Amino acid sequence: MTTLSRTEAQQRADEIRVFRRELDRLEREHILALTEEQRRAVAGHHDGLLARYTQAFDIDRDVQARQLSLGMRIASFLGALALAASVFFLFYQFWGLFAATTQVAVLLSASLGVFAATVWIQGKDASGYFTKLAAMVAFACFVLNIAMLGQIFNITPSDNALIAWAALALLLAYNCDLRLLLAAGILCIIAFVSARTGTWSGMYWLYFGERPENFFPAAAALFLVPQFIRHDRYAGFAAVYRVFGLLALFLPMLVLANWGQASYLYLDPKVIQGFYQILGFAGSAGAIWLGARRNWPEVLNTGVTFFVVFLYTKFFDWWWEIMPKYLFFLVLGLTAVLLLFVLRRMRTVAVKLFKGNKP
Amino acid sequence: MIAWSRRRTLVAGIGLILAVNAVALAGVAYNRSGDPDSVLRLTQRELRPPYGWRSSAENSGVALTLHWRAPVEESADSRGWVSFGGGGSPAWLDKAKLASLGFETSPPKAAADGGRYYEKQLAREVLLVLELDGPAYRQSLERARQNAARAEASQAANAGNKDIERQAKLAKERATSEEREYTRLFAVDAGLDIGALRARYPDRARYAIVRGLVRPQLTSHDKEQRLSGYVSGLSVDQINLPVAFRQVVGYALQDNRAGRNNMPAPYEAEVAFGKRLEPWITAVSGKAGSQ
Repeated sequence: MTTLSRTEAQQRADEIRVFRRELDRLEREHILALTEEQRRAVAGHHDGLLARYTQAFDIDRDVQARQLSLGMRIASFLGALALAASVFFLFYQFWGLFAATTQVAVLLSASLGVFAATVWIQGKDASGYFTKLAAMVAFACFVLNIAMLGQIFNITPSDNALIAWAALALLLAYNCDLRLLLAAGILCIIAFVSARTGTWSGMYWLYFGERPENFFPAAAALFLVPQFIRHDRYAGFAAVYRVFGLLALFLPMLVLANWGQASYLYLDPKVIQGFYQILGFAGSAGAIWLGARRNWPEVLNTGVTFFVVFLYTKFFDWWWEIMPKYLFFLVLGLTAVLLLFVLRRMRTVAVKLFKGNKP
Repeated sequence: MIAWSRRRTLVAGIGLILAVNAVALAGVAYNRSGDPDSVLRLTQRELRPPYGWRSSAENSGVALTLHWRAPVEESADSRGWVSFGGGGSPAWLDKAKLASLGFETSPPKAAADGGRYYEKQLAREVLLVLELDGPAYRQSLERARQNAARAEASQAANAGNKDIERQAKLAKERATSEEREYTRLFAVDAGLDIGALRARYPDRARYAIVRGLVRPQLTSHDKEQRLSGYVSGLSVDQINLPVAFRQVVGYALQDNRAGRNNMPAPYEAEVAFGKRLEPWITAVSGKAGSQ
């Protein structure tokens, strides 16, 4: 019980709810009949579990609670963004009125104070919503802290700030079970690794975005993180790593498939574009295959999305000018239908494979 | 992954925040320790306040922008072309200088198109030498005066020609601006070794060494392509104005609103460049009526 995470508790509660509904249906259809004693024992066991989970994690016990939870998640996300923005603007409004020592003291106290408050709130807040809100503000304060130190003391911009921000974002993400901060931390890591990759060629680090190939090492590293570090206790974390890994791979490929001049390669831009178009199709098809094979829906969906984007981009290049628009969109629509057939076929094959592999 | 206890999280987070702040502030202390690498006395011509400073209610901080120029060739100068802080292609930044800064200046045989080869090389951070009120400025001023004199003579010889009259007026205005308004800070050299640059430019009150960005470019001269360099900016071109000095600059801006030209009223700021070549303002004084 004590080793259970909130996500695992919620999952168990959901399974209990489904079990109760199905048991009720089976009894009504006279397929299964529990004795009164058995029914009481099962219900008592489940009620006890739900009570304990509710007390420990403030989980949603029914559908209504779950809908409310979704609303609370949205509210806490928007609130966190608004509070983070408020911190930024509050400081900007008044910082120029203080001496440098006071400015540093305010920045440092805000970072430390909000971080400590986040950890304190985490101990009191079983639902996790207020913790998430506070964690976002703590991260915003730290970003502001370092960025403003640079501004106050005219420090030369450095990519090292990204790794410091990433460290705090990941610390908060893992301890508050917060995927939004995991995404923020991952973005900082992508920027840092890409900047370092760019500086190997001698370029100024802030220009790393001008050579999209700089993102590839970060993409590979992120995609492999869940393979080496288990994330069983952190629901959705492995998926976030894989999705950002794929985004860091396919978005630069998409740019290079349409703008060959941005590549490191000393080849004709048209050749580079063709190369990355083929790579984009092959890569996204590979992601679809891998997602289906390893049961990673996020990988499959990202692969499908980019396959379609690469395909539609090519269609646009080939036919937008020469085709009547009704025909162009008809072709797009028919392609979507064809893709649906292919994916349905893949699903059938995957189900058969799954059955075949079942012991 | 194993979840940390709250106590451990607290210690790790506080440790991280303190460590990062300590590293940043230690860097600042190191930069400002001992004698600065250079100290320049800049005026409103080189240090400009942001546009609409007073009207910004959302940001109470003020950063002054370091305005600098790249010396242009005589041919460009005679056309009245002036480069300001946004970048410039000085004559001294030639192929040999680019090679000394680490750029590839000879495309490999595999790269059929040399232009594309150079374009692919992005800006590098190098050390730039900024010269205050030195030979580069005096040359620019002299050229502006000569251009104005030539244009005036041409106007006298072609009385009634509206085009020549307009050109003469522009040349005269440019010479006046060169004397009173344009920045006297010029990027005059670049290198990778601070010791070598300082040995070449020992006057620390006239030459500041700063970090800046340089990239190669191909330019056309008389149908001939030539490789040259482009100074695209300084790594730190905004200098925070401490609250203690804001009043002086603030008064200058108020005077400017009532003034006759677009320049702020005169002020002089002492800007030090420290061991890490990062600047800071050490003093600001008004120079009312001294323009």
